[in-house]
Amino acid sequence: MPASARRGLIAAGLLAPAALVFALLFLWPQFGLFLQSLEGPPTYSRFLGDGYYLGVLGNSLLLGVCVTLVTLVLGFPLAFLLARAETRWAGLLLLLTTFPLWVSAVVRSFAWMVLFFRSGVASRLLQGSGLVPPDFQLIGTFAGVVIALAQVLLPIMIVTLYAVIRGIDRDLEHAAMNLGASPAVALWLVTLRLARGGVLAGSLLVFSLSVSAFATPSMIGGARAHFMAVTIYEQTLELLDWPFAAAIAAILLVISLSVALTYGRLLGERAR
Amino acid sequence: MPRDGFMSRPLTRRHALASAGLAAATLLPGRAGAQPRFAGREIVATAFGGPSQDLIQRMVYDAVTRETGARGTQTPLLSANAFARMRAEAQAPQIDLFMFSGGQQVPAKAAGLTQKLPEAPNFANVPATLKDADGHWVAWGLVTEGILYRPDKVATPPRSYKDFFKPEFAGHIAFPHITNGYGTDFLVMLARAHGGSESNIGPGFEALKRIAGRANIFRSAAEVQTLFASGDIWIMPYDGASAMRSTAMGIPVAYSVPEEGAPFVLLTGCAARRSRNADIASAVLNRHLDPEVQTAIAREIGWAPVNTATQLPPDVAPFMAPTDRLATLDRDVINASRPAWTERFNREIAR
Repeated sequence: MPASARRGLIAAGLLAPAALVFALLFLWPQFGLFLQSLEGPPTYSRFLGDGYYLGVLGNSLLLGVCVTLVTLVLGFPLAFLLARAETRWAGLLLLLTTFPLWVSAVVRSFAWMVLFFRSGVASRLLQGSGLVPPDFQLIGTFAGVVIALAQVLLPIMIVTLYAVIRGIDRDLEHAAMNLGASPAVALWLVTLRLARGGVLAGSLLVFSLSVSAFATPSMIGGARAHFMAVTIYEQTLELLDWPFAAAIAAILLVISLSVALTYGRLLGERAR
Repeated sequence: MPRDGFMSRPLTRRHALASAGLAAATLLPGRAGAQPRFAGREIVATAFGGPSQDLIQRMVYDAVTRETGARGTQTPLLSANAFARMRAEAQAPQIDLFMFSGGQQVPAKAAGLTQKLPEAPNFANVPATLKDADGHWVAWGLVTEGILYRPDKVATPPRSYKDFFKPEFAGHIAFPHITNGYGTDFLVMLARAHGGSESNIGPGFEALKRIAGRANIFRSAAEVQTLFASGDIWIMPYDGASAMRSTAMGIPVAYSVPEEGAPFVLLTGCAARRSRNADIASAVLNRHLDPEVQTAIAREIGWAPVNTATQLPPDVAPFMAPTDRLATLDRDVINASRPAWTERFNREIAR
């Protein structure tokens, strides 16, 4: 057997368990969900022909984009510093950034709720700035959901970026500077470009987790939070309209997959 | 001349049996030497789980065992699941006594799944609207809804659902989402207060729209305490037990029975048609209805008594609506309208 064929066989063997689990526990149920969405009165046209539901979809996608941007802007400098920190505390600092993930979403959301009420610290700060009306509160607002969700997803962005930035050879930056690039230009041309895999992976993780988030949007956004996952929950458990819930889930999957693929392609083309 | 009085009558065998039966029926503890009434028998019942199940085991089943010899086993089952089980095991029931909180006793009786419970003394103290006319089911507890408010922030206690429109409450109102049962009941009561009804819900939505803009709409029961503790929320429609719990946690929250009446959730018991233990079921339900047990359930769990002979202590009574101030809602119409009302709520109210 030629070496290449053997390598292919080994690769297939290594992939097989994961592929099997994926097919069994993800693809098959998804297919079942899709079949269910076709039962009864038309579900897809009901969703796509209704401005209200399209608004819910738009809300979820906007939430995903906002949270991704916030975590990227806040996370990149931090991940960069942590990756470059020449201290034995770096590991501990990285560990500290993951703290939000250690607390249950429900407990964390309750803490945010206390800060977001009209008399809570966060709402008070905004009221004091004069940018918002005096009885403004962050609870029940889109901005509140973005803040609370960005907090919990920030560690995921940081850890992903950290691993990638840490793998970038610093000599490449030095070489660029040696050839006359300022540190800023070297950062832009070399480091950021090499880190784009991490940016892509981190963004996709944060985006997909945001558009499908349930606990935080439902608790912080309250009843006025019309997001996809909350709507699916309502249709499944409160109204028992399973075909419609399945259709919403399928639409969410297709839309967020296409957003992710487009984003990945854009970032990939840039690199060439 | 012999006195023809009760005491001088010869005690016939027939009389002896009748009075023994009477003694047993009133659940008198067996006298020394007497065989307990249900010795060696066992009853299986559904329960609502959690602390209520522990309390009821202690105060109801253990007491019934002591008094009658019958052992009781509780199995936690949500009402909908219990009803499904009742239907599935209609021919050979594994469970004798079913407890429902979602009104399932009515379709259960209609489907012929229940039987007449032998009369028990405390049943007589339950208002006629809270038990079946044919004796197939009887209520033993209530969750009573109404208006919750912060007595330290609100000068005049609210008395009516119309009080939600008082200008001083603007910005300090919270109400549950329509997918929360209390949220649905609030909508119906607003409709009733404004000339509507379950089948004419329009006035309810119009009224809700007037307060929704500046109100906090919440989804879960867990948020009630957080909302009141924030200090921003002074008034909301919810159940009295939540006010009692908040007060116990140090957040002053009072409960007011609205003049339109208090919507409620009924906790009932009924025996499976083919169960051979309906007599024990009746004794168990009778014990539930004992004023002492009714008071303990009210204090520990927050379920209001249905036995009108119960005298609640002053630290519990203010959080429960009495049985003569209840508002009975048409649950069939409400359940049938739920999908349409939810759609409308999402579009018009929760914006």
